[in-house]
Amino acid sequence: MRQSVLHRLGGYVHVKLGGYEPERFFNLCRARGLEIWEISEREQEYYFYMALRDFRQVRPPARKAHVRLRVTGKYGLPFFIRNNRRRTPYLAGIVLFFLVLLMMSRYIWDIRFSGNLRFTDDALLHYLQGRGVVYGMKVREVDCDSLEEAIRGDFPEITWVSARVSGTRLLIKIKENETAGEAMGEGDSDKNEAPRDLVTEKDGIITHLIVRSGRALVRSGDEVKAGDVLVTGVLPLYDDSEALMATHYVRADADIYARTEETCSLVVPLLTAERTDTGDVRHGLRLRVAGLQFLWMLPSDGENCWEAECESRQVTVLGDFYLPLWVDRLTLREYRLYERQRRPEELALLKEKILEENRKNFLEKGLSIIQNDATIQKDGLRYRVTCRFLLEGPIGTGREITESEENNLADERSRDDD
Amino acid sequence: MLDRLKMAAVQELGIPKDVALGEVLVSFAGRCCVTVENYRGILLYDDQTVKLQARNCRLEIRGRRLHIAWYNHDQMMITGQIQAMEFIDA
Repeated sequence: MRQSVLHRLGGYVHVKLGGYEPERFFNLCRARGLEIWEISEREQEYYFYMALRDFRQVRPPARKAHVRLRVTGKYGLPFFIRNNRRRTPYLAGIVLFFLVLLMMSRYIWDIRFSGNLRFTDDALLHYLQGRGVVYGMKVREVDCDSLEEAIRGDFPEITWVSARVSGTRLLIKIKENETAGEAMGEGDSDKNEAPRDLVTEKDGIITHLIVRSGRALVRSGDEVKAGDVLVTGVLPLYDDSEALMATHYVRADADIYARTEETCSLVVPLLTAERTDTGDVRHGLRLRVAGLQFLWMLPSDGENCWEAECESRQVTVLGDFYLPLWVDRLTLREYRLYERQRRPEELALLKEKILEENRKNFLEKGLSIIQNDATIQKDGLRYRVTCRFLLEGPIGTGREITESEENNLADERSRDDD
Repeated sequence: MLDRLKMAAVQELGIPKDVALGEVLVSFAGRCCVTVENYRGILLYDDQTVKLQARNCRLEIRGRRLHIAWYNHDQMMITGQIQAMEFIDA
């Protein structure tokens, strides 16, 4: 490979040799260190390649061996330059190519992020756009230090940022603090000390409860309805004559577990669309440059549906030099759609799938599944899949104590007095 | 006498003969490529025969469409369809 490149750079010739002592000529060349390769013989004539540098020294051995040499081909850079020395536009094109390349290398044509889990590339790109860091901006206008500082300042979840320009690419490496969100959430709940009640958000039967703060209004085995107060944060203080002396308000806190029932249903049409590929495939090429796009693809003759697959690639030079030019390779596959009735096994699969999805959701929420079942009913032109779950898990959400509640307590007390 | 002594010494010392005595070294890669080392000169070349002079013998390679892919001061690569190789006393 290296030898081949050197030959091309220095130039080489294809030579036809005829005469009395070709073997002697080859031996003489060997003794003088002249490079010859690809020797072949046809009808008493010899053909070979020789480096241009060596060909200039070949006259003495040729004379000594009584052979005649005739050049049949000239290759390599010296001959290329010689042949094209009068073609000014050609030369101008080459110069222009390098000038354009040089000019383009002064702009950013690709922005890459790595290490971002919470924030998507699009979100970060949008943020950078707001700061004036966009595709096509000048490389020297990118201030990596201030960009790093700004990202760290504007995204508290990002703990470490590294921005650097490589060729025409802006590479941004990010490290996120994975526990930042949770820690903040906990901090907020700790800070909030406002008095509250715990109310149930759904119907159920209380299985057990542990009260840490507040007064329990329900016991194990009680049936509760959505909106009922489970643990109140209003603590009345009575004297010996059972007269209300004062009322304390606390932030109710308890672990309350209840057995609840959840029902979910899904309606699917009686018919389903089935897809069949016709086997017809079309290929095309699309070129995208600076908002313009050029498509090379034969038009379709029918009115069927086509599924398109696009493989996009940004044109690069020397690995790091990204040009604002994208080449898309398109593959279109023809298919037809027809409707048919759902099969019983498909319905059974659908039922299992819905059950499994819900089961997974409930387990993620920390609920235990006591019992579950699913039914499928035909309802006109559709099927209704109904799933019923009997669950056990924590219930109760905080609700701030309102003035009306306080008044209710006072009224209740005065009624008792009467 | 001297040659015999040299040969015995090389044999005893375990030195490669191509290095110590300048013996020709022939390496085949299948039947389409042969590399010859330690040759002294080309005696005959056409598309069916390549005859080389080695230090102690002559080497004849016969075949069809024989090409000399490259050669230098002490090595040569021959390609083509090789049919036979013969050592001839000098």
